[in-house]
Amino acid sequence: MKRISLFISILALLALTALLPTGAVYADGHCEFAEDSIKIGGLVPLSAPGTVAGGVAMSWAINRAADDINAACGVAIDGVNYAIEIVIGDSEGSPERGQAVVERFILEDEVDAVTGVYHSAVGLATMGMLDENRIPTVFSEPWNDNVSANGIMEYDGRPPRNADGVDHVFRVSPASSMVGSVVVDWLLDLGVGNVVIIAENTDYGQPAAADELARFEAAGATVTQINVELGTEDFVPILSRIQASAETPDVVRVIVTGETSFNLTQQMAELGIAPTEDTICVTNQVAFQSEQYWQNVPDGNYCAFNRVGIIPSLFSDTAVELNEAYFEEFEDIVPSYAMASYDAVWIIADGMARAGSMSDGAAIVAAIETTDLDLSQGRYYFEYGNHNPDLPEGTPAFMWHQWPDPVVTMMQYFEQGQSSLDAAVIFPVVYQTHGSSYIAPGTSP
Amino acid sequence: MVIEDTLFVLWLLLAGPLWATVGLFILPGVNQGRGEKEQVPATTLKIAGLVGGFALGPVGLGLFYLEPTLIRRSSLTLGVVLTVFLSSQVLARIVDPNLPAALWLLLAGPLWAALAAYFIPRHYRDLEADDQNALTAAALGGFAIGPLIFGLMWKTVPKVNRDWMISLGALGAWQIYALFAIQNPANPCVALPYAATYLTQQTANGIVIGCIYSLMAVGLTLIYSVQGVVSFAHGQLYMVGGYFSFYFLLHAGNVLSELTGTEVSVNPIWGIPVAAVIVFVMGAIFERVFLKPMHEGLIERVSEYAILITFGFGFFLEYTTLAIAGPFPQKTDRFIQIRRFTLDRFHFNDEVFFGPIHIIGDRAFAMVVGVALIFALLYFLQRSWTGRALRATSQDRQAAAVTGINPTNMNTLSFAMGSMLAAMSGAALIPIFNWVPWVGAEMVGRSYVIVVLGGLGSVPGALAGGIIVGIVEALGAGCHPDPSRGAAYKEAFALVIFALVLLLKPTGLFGREQH
Repeated sequence: MKRISLFISILALLALTALLPTGAVYADGHCEFAEDSIKIGGLVPLSAPGTVAGGVAMSWAINRAADDINAACGVAIDGVNYAIEIVIGDSEGSPERGQAVVERFILEDEVDAVTGVYHSAVGLATMGMLDENRIPTVFSEPWNDNVSANGIMEYDGRPPRNADGVDHVFRVSPASSMVGSVVVDWLLDLGVGNVVIIAENTDYGQPAAADELARFEAAGATVTQINVELGTEDFVPILSRIQASAETPDVVRVIVTGETSFNLTQQMAELGIAPTEDTICVTNQVAFQSEQYWQNVPDGNYCAFNRVGIIPSLFSDTAVELNEAYFEEFEDIVPSYAMASYDAVWIIADGMARAGSMSDGAAIVAAIETTDLDLSQGRYYFEYGNHNPDLPEGTPAFMWHQWPDPVVTMMQYFEQGQSSLDAAVIFPVVYQTHGSSYIAPGTSP
Repeated sequence: MVIEDTLFVLWLLLAGPLWATVGLFILPGVNQGRGEKEQVPATTLKIAGLVGGFALGPVGLGLFYLEPTLIRRSSLTLGVVLTVFLSSQVLARIVDPNLPAALWLLLAGPLWAALAAYFIPRHYRDLEADDQNALTAAALGGFAIGPLIFGLMWKTVPKVNRDWMISLGALGAWQIYALFAIQNPANPCVALPYAATYLTQQTANGIVIGCIYSLMAVGLTLIYSVQGVVSFAHGQLYMVGGYFSFYFLLHAGNVLSELTGTEVSVNPIWGIPVAAVIVFVMGAIFERVFLKPMHEGLIERVSEYAILITFGFGFFLEYTTLAIAGPFPQKTDRFIQIRRFTLDRFHFNDEVFFGPIHIIGDRAFAMVVGVALIFALLYFLQRSWTGRALRATSQDRQAAAVTGINPTNMNTLSFAMGSMLAAMSGAALIPIFNWVPWVGAEMVGRSYVIVVLGGLGSVPGALAGGIIVGIVEALGAGCHPDPSRGAAYKEAFALVIFALVLLLKPTGLFGREQH
């Protein structure tokens, strides 16, 4: 008897649900939204061996962007407001896992666009799938040159890769070569001649090291490259090898991401290899997270690091707000990959609004190609794409669908425990904050 | 070139066509004076003489002449030898015919090690001789002196003691180093005048980190020796030990700062006992709830259950920690405010010098902590009643129970103590490495290597295994001919040693046979 009652209750509940209004809109207080929402997949590393700290920050930024856009009544398409719904997928930093997540995004979640991606290997492995399935994509952190260059690798005056002539992948992070050129130009300006590069064995580290090595060698510098595995904790044996070399290196350049770079930089400092009077320490951009940096690299004062994104003193209002929200959440300064991820969602939303569609990939891509938006990292636009397909001679292929203006600077700490907001910007000269291209250990600018 | 030429002449003397010709004529004489039943077919003898002389030189011919049964039983041997020889010849010519390494491979090296390891122990058993260590000695001997090891061990069948193995192992190591030096004269491990300093530095690096590895591995081996269970949660227990220490130091510092009105930082040494106590209790509860039913016969597939339940416990700890502590790396203050200890350079004359040697301060401190804890554990196991009870249980549970020892309590104690040692290891290392919820993964993999290398269930073995792994990793990374790859292959060097030990001494260096 009880079972029959339960069955009747369930049926009644289902009937009531069916009778609920199924109209096209619902309201959240001040905006009316269509029932359908725009689904954006956020592909980020949330488990080891991926850089989980990066993935958490990116996931937060992607969701934050969606919240901000929805608070501004979502994306208006043909007079109807569509809310943005974020679907986060964990790439674990692994190409095959990234592909599985993208497959889920496409087949099960039916996403309209994709953003995120921290590791280059994941970007390279998934970009083909995203393109073939015509999913507009704005990658926000992979640096490998080919992430945007693959779309035009075989470019011969005709549209790349896809038969329909549309390349769906954009990137708002810099390419490795864009970062490498700044680092190398700065070091060559300082007159270094003997360089040690320690690079991670990944699709980010190896091409980036090869690019910098070629630039150094072209300038006549001697370079020794050492490859390490991500996740390694003890670097002392290989650092002892550097210490035993006949000539003291002028610079040790670390092309290693995440907490692995913290371990490496700290052990380098503990052994007295760099930073010293003779040897410059150039560590990874993760050093910009000053709270984490000082906790994990207490001896890392006077290390320089490359910074991607607008320098703190030039933060726009959007960047300031984002930074405050990030600080409230994580008690640290917002990293560039979080800013880029935040901006990427806005770029997609703007593209859909201007394309007047959330599902017409070609129209959305065409709209994104003509993006002109001021966001947290500055003004976004894409110089080369189907709207402007002729790359001048000498322009690298990766500039296709590549945001050309990510600000890359060299920064340096000069006080123990210093906030990265107060760290010196030392290169390029136009951005210098303390009038110095390098602050020697033991001195102040 | 002088060395290469000398080796080539040596090979011509020891083997090659000359001895094949000699063998072809001499070996058929074996049948003279033998009974009909003992006669070896003439064709077999001719082939054996030809091939044996060509491949093994006078040593091979001598063996065949003195022990014709070897010929009869070893048509397979000849096939293997021929293959090995021809492939070595081809290798030596294709790769680089002038390389001493190729000659070494031919005259000694891994191929002869494999052959000796296969045949000599069987020969010992056939003769019902004491074959303990025969496998290891044969392999080491084949590696170091090539076919000569057959001459040494086949006829006289000597009892192999540890001196044999040390001598042969040292000779093999010397050969590798000599070949390495010939081929990589600029390598920091051989280039004078830095080599002595550099090798000392790398060995010191290896010993320091090896002692720290050992502490974690000791816990694993303790659990295995008593329970026969390999804890797959060991890496996560190591990780939570670090986090317990971190949060204790953080909160204790805050409380003391509030009380005193000045910023107080608590030395991480205090985090070690705190982590130890908490994880000891955790381990005991886990064992009582999840492992005890296994020993009481309530679980059908015990081995699978032990693996799955400890795996599950590890996952639970890792993802709970991730949810609570977050993914951002953490680290505590230093143990000591000395960045590094340095042994300054001193000169013997203008050109010969030694030093400097650097050891990172906190690592040296952690090493001392690790060694002290291991010796404390050894003292406990050897001298206290409870320690003896643990050892008795590990040797024979039923006999231990007869003497009044409660095996159930010993199970709980061993798991709790093993977990505690992992946690103490974590608490000792959090001032040295960045701490994230998956930090145990790399360390636990290494611990499995260490305990198998040292011998499952052996505490001194774990200490020795840790130091060996530390030294091998440091020297491997530091001496690899290609500096760009040395660091990337660091863990692989220890795995090579691991594989060799499994092949030669499956019980590990200090392990005992399971009966």
